[in-house]
Amino acid sequence: MEERTRAYLRGRFGDHYRRADLTPPPDASEREWGYIPWTSSPGTTMVRHRSLLDLGSIEDFLARERPRHVYFSAGRYDDPSASSMGQKGWRSSDLVFDLDADHLPSVTPGEDTYAEMLASCKDALRKLLDFLETDFGFEQLTVVFSGGRGYHVHVRDEGIQHLDRESRREIVDYVRGIGLEFDALVEEEAVGGTAGRSSPAHKRTLTTEGGWSGRAHGHIMDTVEALLASDESAAIERLTEYDGIGDGKAAAALRAMRENTDQLRAGNIDIHPAFVSVANALVEEVVEGDNAPIDEPVTTDTNRLIRLPGSLHGGSGLAVRRIDRDELDAFDPLVDAVPETFVGHDITVEVTDGGQIELYGDSFTFAEGVHSVPEYLGVFLMARGRAEKGQE
Amino acid sequence: MKPLHARYPFMRAAREAVEAAEIDLATVVQRGDPAVERGLDRVESALEDGTVGEPHRQTRVELLSYPVARVLVSIVDEAVLTRSYARAEAASAHERFTDELASTTQLQSTSGDSLTLRELLAEFELLEHVRPEAGPLEEADRYWVEVGPYLDLAAGQWGEEWRLVNRPLTDGEVPLEESELLVLCRRAVEQRVESGLPLTVPDAIAEPLGDEVAQLRETLAELDLTRDIDTVVPDLFPPCMRALLDQIQKGEHLEHHSRFAITSFLTSIGMSTDEIVELYEINPGFGEEMTRYQTDHIRGETSPTEYSTPSCATMQSYGDCVNMDDRCERISHPMAYYEDALDEADEDEVTDWRESQES
Repeated sequence: MEERTRAYLRGRFGDHYRRADLTPPPDASEREWGYIPWTSSPGTTMVRHRSLLDLGSIEDFLARERPRHVYFSAGRYDDPSASSMGQKGWRSSDLVFDLDADHLPSVTPGEDTYAEMLASCKDALRKLLDFLETDFGFEQLTVVFSGGRGYHVHVRDEGIQHLDRESRREIVDYVRGIGLEFDALVEEEAVGGTAGRSSPAHKRTLTTEGGWSGRAHGHIMDTVEALLASDESAAIERLTEYDGIGDGKAAAALRAMRENTDQLRAGNIDIHPAFVSVANALVEEVVEGDNAPIDEPVTTDTNRLIRLPGSLHGGSGLAVRRIDRDELDAFDPLVDAVPETFVGHDITVEVTDGGQIELYGDSFTFAEGVHSVPEYLGVFLMARGRAEKGQE
Repeated sequence: MKPLHARYPFMRAAREAVEAAEIDLATVVQRGDPAVERGLDRVESALEDGTVGEPHRQTRVELLSYPVARVLVSIVDEAVLTRSYARAEAASAHERFTDELASTTQLQSTSGDSLTLRELLAEFELLEHVRPEAGPLEEADRYWVEVGPYLDLAAGQWGEEWRLVNRPLTDGEVPLEESELLVLCRRAVEQRVESGLPLTVPDAIAEPLGDEVAQLRETLAELDLTRDIDTVVPDLFPPCMRALLDQIQKGEHLEHHSRFAITSFLTSIGMSTDEIVELYEINPGFGEEMTRYQTDHIRGETSPTEYSTPSCATMQSYGDCVNMDDRCERISHPMAYYEDALDEADEDEVTDWRESQES
């Protein structure tokens, strides 16, 4: 990025911050703050270990410094500006989740467009929120568009603030379905007689009430009902797609499903050995289909720095936006995260890396060279390193 | 001082009772009070059989032996001792409150000298985070525990079925059977006992305990808990582990605790994850990926905790202790059995399974 481009972006970020109305996170003065300035050095150096005392008010600081990126810590400390974590005196930490398009299995980098990546990310966000709200019952959730390739969720419920890394890892594993095991998911109950290890007198049930077990049960019932509704040969063909299920086993499993549908509905999956194999495979499908592929280190790190909602992302020129829970469906990051400041006028840019872009409800196709474009597009291209500022 | 305090000396009320009696620990150790001997016994028992031994008949001695034991553990200051000791205090307390709660009727509980579930949960600030599924707290057989406290106590502990992912977490609560709730309380005791250790011990207390400390160090050295075995001879495995391995290789379904036991044993004797997978491979149902995951977890690679092989007592309580032989009578831990068997075997006749695989 050339100096004139950097100076332009820094100036316009400043204009944005002078008009912006930022709501800082709760307990802002107990948190560590950090930022990356607009410097020419190739490596990005973060200025960190700052407290609100060092910065003054957030709004004044942003208007004065006009940083490229701004972050605050998930953690709260006795002394947030101490230069080492040991000296800071950790008190508590929000639980933070990061969904990044780069880490999604459903995204093919280089092939999917930015809009497609963000759409996949929103699907993953819905899965994550289902875990956080339904399973964990969290009530204080802040959903944020990161300004880049994904979404953040900040959880501030009292009950999770003190959790250590190890406990947070259990939460990560939960939403990602890691370590989920069929045998551990089902409850085994000895039915009559002695509970000898190899005795067949075991009844294996999936609890229908919630958690992964409830999800697995739901998926099993959906599959069973679909199989029973289709004709015999199609159902058997479908069942033999599972490893270790031949025609014989498939027929047996299907018969067992038909005769024991009520048992299945109640969670008893031990209706036939062949069916247990099918159920096992269906549990794997549920994990694959329902898990939320969050970026693990962000959640387990109790000292993590995260982008400040309301600030601008220096790599896109888009705003880091808090999203009201009931407006999530309607939220379109490529429209709603375009800062007002950059709307309504055109600027001249020199495009170095042409292509096609959807932004603010428009689709733009442009080649290398000098163009006059809407400012939000120009800022986006310059921040991404695809254009330099041109002469007006 | 009440008998209740002596049974649960880690409780706040017990500590207050000691403080109220204005007992000076320095005086207790200087005059060689019976509490010193009993305190040593607490720690030695922890190393030998994972309990805190037989209680002294006098409430005062039994109660005072607890601070003495903590002081001894602090002076020796070996992580393995501190951990074993905290686990043993927790195991003994767990055994006591499990019995006591099973026999406590509501009438008795008003006498003030039986522990109630309410008091136990309140002691560890769990009362407001645990909800009986139906009916009064003391009579329920299923409980819902808030996820935060559940993770504080269960994260990184025990086997797969304790992992949050395998629990039907619903609206922020984890359902638990009564016995599972008491296992969480056991862990709370362990954390309580371990917190603050090692204590800073003044010379006036440390010096008179020189003999006891020397004896503990000797016991520790004999047990050689830190020794690496790194020799794999299935023929010399303790009968319990041989039986579990046989079942795996025959392709039988093992319950979690059994699978955990054999895998942690194999890890402890120096087998790598790859080698364990290879040894299990005869059983197609075992699942290579699961074995890898579990082995790495036990080893502490995918979790911060390194798990150790269950003791004979634990194996017995899960029904995994089978085909006991003469050597079993002399040891209290499957690892001790295997070490003993290796020591006695003629070195030339011992072939490591891994070497025989290479040829």
